[in-house]
Amino acid sequence: MYRYDEFDAQIVAERVAQFRRQVERRLDGRLSEAEFRPLRLMNGLYLQLHAYMMRVAIPYGTLSSRQLRQLAMIADKYDKGYGHITTRQNIQYNWPELIDVPDLLNDLAEVEMHGFQTSGNCIRNVTSDPYAGATADEIEDPRPTAELLRQWSTLHPEFAFLPRKFKIAVTASPNDRAVIKAHDIGIEIVKNDDGDVGYHIIVGGGLGRTPIIGQTVRAFLPREELLPYLEAILRVYNRFGRRDNKYKARIKILVTETGIEEFTRMVDEEYAQLKPLDIAVSPEEVARITAYFADPDYETLDNEPKAYLSEIASNRDFALWVDSNIAAHKQAGYAIVNISLKPLDRAPGDITSAQMRKVADLADEYSFGEIRTTHQQNMILPHVKQSDLPVLFKELQKAGLAEDNIGMITDIICCPGMDFCALATARSIPVSQAIAERFSDPERERAIGEMQIKISGCINACGHHHVGHIGILGLEKAGVEFYQVKLGGDASENAAVGKVTGPGFSQEELVDGIERMVDFYLDQRGEGERFIDTYNRLGMEPFKEVLYVD
Amino acid sequence: MSTLKHKGKGPQSLTANELREGLNVWMTEDLTWSRDFKDAMTTEDPDVMERMKHRGDTDEADNLVVGVYFIDIEPETGLPARYREKFRAKGPSIDTADLVEGS
Repeated sequence: MYRYDEFDAQIVAERVAQFRRQVERRLDGRLSEAEFRPLRLMNGLYLQLHAYMMRVAIPYGTLSSRQLRQLAMIADKYDKGYGHITTRQNIQYNWPELIDVPDLLNDLAEVEMHGFQTSGNCIRNVTSDPYAGATADEIEDPRPTAELLRQWSTLHPEFAFLPRKFKIAVTASPNDRAVIKAHDIGIEIVKNDDGDVGYHIIVGGGLGRTPIIGQTVRAFLPREELLPYLEAILRVYNRFGRRDNKYKARIKILVTETGIEEFTRMVDEEYAQLKPLDIAVSPEEVARITAYFADPDYETLDNEPKAYLSEIASNRDFALWVDSNIAAHKQAGYAIVNISLKPLDRAPGDITSAQMRKVADLADEYSFGEIRTTHQQNMILPHVKQSDLPVLFKELQKAGLAEDNIGMITDIICCPGMDFCALATARSIPVSQAIAERFSDPERERAIGEMQIKISGCINACGHHHVGHIGILGLEKAGVEFYQVKLGGDASENAAVGKVTGPGFSQEELVDGIERMVDFYLDQRGEGERFIDTYNRLGMEPFKEVLYVD
Repeated sequence: MSTLKHKGKGPQSLTANELREGLNVWMTEDLTWSRDFKDAMTTEDPDVMERMKHRGDTDEADNLVVGVYFIDIEPETGLPARYREKFRAKGPSIDTADLVEGS
């Protein structure tokens, strides 16, 4: 697990005290709203459609049970008893009051948490593979690199006022579970031909109103050069990124307008100025950080113990849950458990305080006290013994957390939309629920297989609709919501931006149209093909024909 | 607060957010604020609107509310004209808070 060092603790404590005084000055008028707004945003506090909203950073989606219990306490004490997991692995509270926020931040600080860099034109909370440290398909645990970036980017004075926000994601697996190609900088930990571990650096990706897949700026960067090289990229962006137009200010626009070759040359030129590597991290420091993420004390176990297999054979619900929600662990006899936060009656990603406490208790009992949040708006218990899965499943069932739909058509990424967001143009949560309801038959859902539907309530694309197999964008005209459809997006290592099919639909028409496309896919698919595979083979036209049949 | 689509013609109400609690409020006939849109004063009278604006600006200066602005009201329904403002008035169509015991 990551942990604060003495500097983190001091920085956070000082920031809480600062913000308390800032709130006092705002309430008595010494600070105007114009003066106060950037200060509250620097601590993750927004003013949304109905109320303030507090966004709390969860570094690379890693939580301890103690932290999750504190988040539950905060949900009860300062909010309405629930939280919302975001597509950047953070948690948001929808209803805090300004007068309470200093105390809220103080309670967060007690468990080494805060809202820094969850807003504003700075380097945002670094995201990573939620299976990090547990999966067998990674080259190494990406969390030490993510933690290094957290320490480097926290209140980095040179990069506190970038042209626009800046998002970094890290993975160490060829199976991208962190959407690295849709980030300002995506980092893939790789091995070169000599067997050395280093970094594949991707730059200029992003979603929003101008979706762009990132491009390689350095195919292999030696490990010790990471921070200086990122510093060079950020400096080029800070200097040449556009500040005259907010909508053209992200690094993706600079890279696109400059061209990747010229951009790379500019970065290399800046990088040459940085030598000697005065900010490079020593191997000793890397080793110190890596030690935070040592494996837990696994027992020596066999894979697939008899009791586990026998429960699969005798309990169909358990077997289905294992099939969809369990991922392979690197340690024999262990499993990665995905906890779906996509039940039919809930906004995707929402979790009540009681459920948070339950997950924390289960993490203590079965997963070394560790929890992950995912950009898919779910949670994970990363290290569970296979022999414990039957009892864990029963406990999750009791808590309403045993939905067996991970990676399937009802596991929808969905932004808060017009129900909560001040920027939204249409609702997204009811659309997600209508689709989930339509495909709620478990047999049918399994027949459809892996499927990614992603919904955004405006062109800012917080719901990642550009990279959904089916992407849905909510818009509004003359007081009527309508929904534009994209097809062929992909959030995996084969990242692709979907294409718009044509005119939009009402919610009802949309769900019918999706159903027709899914039925068409089921009819047309080849052996082992997912929806996206069939789409890529056949192209948009036949899907468009069934979508617009009426 | 965005006023991009505000036409400023026909019936108007004045809205803001409470500074301390953050919740949406609308100005009432006695020039105070209510969290319930049903209490909102709606008028086309320029003199009344001027008084509303003055009170809103004063309350903002006194740090009671933030982001004061007029909204268009549909004459036929009495509801906010702009889609976004309808949502501000009626609240989220789904809130997990409704599923939380004791909420």
